[in-house]
Amino acid sequence: MFKALLQGKPFSHPLHPALVHFPIGLFVLSLILDIASYLEITSNDLYGASLYVMAFGLAMGVLAALTGLVDRSDIRLDHPARKTSTIHMLLNLSALGLFSINFVLRLGQRALAGIPLAYLLLSLVGVGIILVSGYLGGTMVYDNGIGVGRHRRDTRLPKKTIDVSFLVRHDGWAVVCDENELKDGETLRVKCDGNIIALAKQGGKVYAFQDFCTHRYGPLSEGKLEDHQVICPWHRSCFDIRTGKVVEGPAKVDLNTYSAMIRGGKIFVK
Amino acid sequence: MIDFLQGKWLKHPLHPALVHIPTALWPMAWIFDLFSQFRADNVFVQLAFYAGLLGLLVAILAIPTGFADWTDIGREKPAWKLGLYHMGMNVVVSILWAINLWLRVGSFQTDTSVPPGLFGLSTFATVLLLISGYLGGRMIYAYGISVARLSKKKWRKIAEQGGAAVPPEDGE
Repeated sequence: MFKALLQGKPFSHPLHPALVHFPIGLFVLSLILDIASYLEITSNDLYGASLYVMAFGLAMGVLAALTGLVDRSDIRLDHPARKTSTIHMLLNLSALGLFSINFVLRLGQRALAGIPLAYLLLSLVGVGIILVSGYLGGTMVYDNGIGVGRHRRDTRLPKKTIDVSFLVRHDGWAVVCDENELKDGETLRVKCDGNIIALAKQGGKVYAFQDFCTHRYGPLSEGKLEDHQVICPWHRSCFDIRTGKVVEGPAKVDLNTYSAMIRGGKIFVK
Repeated sequence: MIDFLQGKWLKHPLHPALVHIPTALWPMAWIFDLFSQFRADNVFVQLAFYAGLLGLLVAILAIPTGFADWTDIGREKPAWKLGLYHMGMNVVVSILWAINLWLRVGSFQTDTSVPPGLFGLSTFATVLLLISGYLGGRMIYAYGISVARLSKKKWRKIAEQGGAAVPPEDGE
């Protein structure tokens, strides 16, 4: 429940990307005030003013970090964006660390008339890191669709892709997992002989279809199951999971489907 | 020109990157306004002005990029209307801040608290902005605007390798 709140599900809008506006905007403003102070373009105490801005940036940065950690925990382990998320996190934590040091150093020297060059440089490096990291964060959303449509999904997401390619087959069937590991309304992402398959359970039966939406290739194993339809998290294309047929666009091409069954308490696919 | 405004050269949409500055700094300007009501100190009046000004400068850059993104949305899509409201509100908020800052220019270096009228103006602009920012976020996270716009070739390749049916190359 607390996790859903930190992910912004009650607002139908993820919290992390909303909160990050603040540290990004505030650290940039604080740097600009530092530069203006260093260049002495006004007699106002911009060095002192910058400290307030930095304090707010740090406070909001901590909130953003918390929500970001929670969002990261839902990224599939083998997703290409998982690595990006690790770099994004480490960069942001280093920037927060640098700004904390910067802040504490300045706190001890509040009465200075102008800003020491070292503090200005520290801010410059901090903002540089944040811009690189923010760019990576943006690619996670706009290239990889992380967090997109996630609020519509109320069951747990696949943790990783289960590769069954090398398992012993019985009449071509590969065993995926125990039946009770997949509940109604849940999905798995399975790799079998090069095919990436979404497995969905509904009404006690399992259905297998291609994981990639035929519009922009969004992950259907992270989509919402409504009765026997799956809704792509990215642009809401809707497919019938029994036949793979498009129910609603923007997708125009039907999904490939695969065979799946439950036998003896195990889920099989081929 | 549209390609440039949409951020193709950067491989990242420009509009959502630029809006961080006004989205953070205008509400912060309001918070500094609020502080100055309780603790008379010129530093808060100055901070509100600087935050408002940097917000406005970047908002002026953000508006054309947002417009360029919006032109790509089909008129029949729900996100088109959402985008229209988002744009209308943001233009209003930007004008409100331009007026607000104009009225402060003469006094922000000496005042120790923001006059109630101007505080009211930033309060109104902040409420509008938060609603508008929420709508902007909904366009991305609920309707997928700009999502996989620049990466669709990459995903197409991954999908093909994963044995998926894909649409004809020019039918996208």
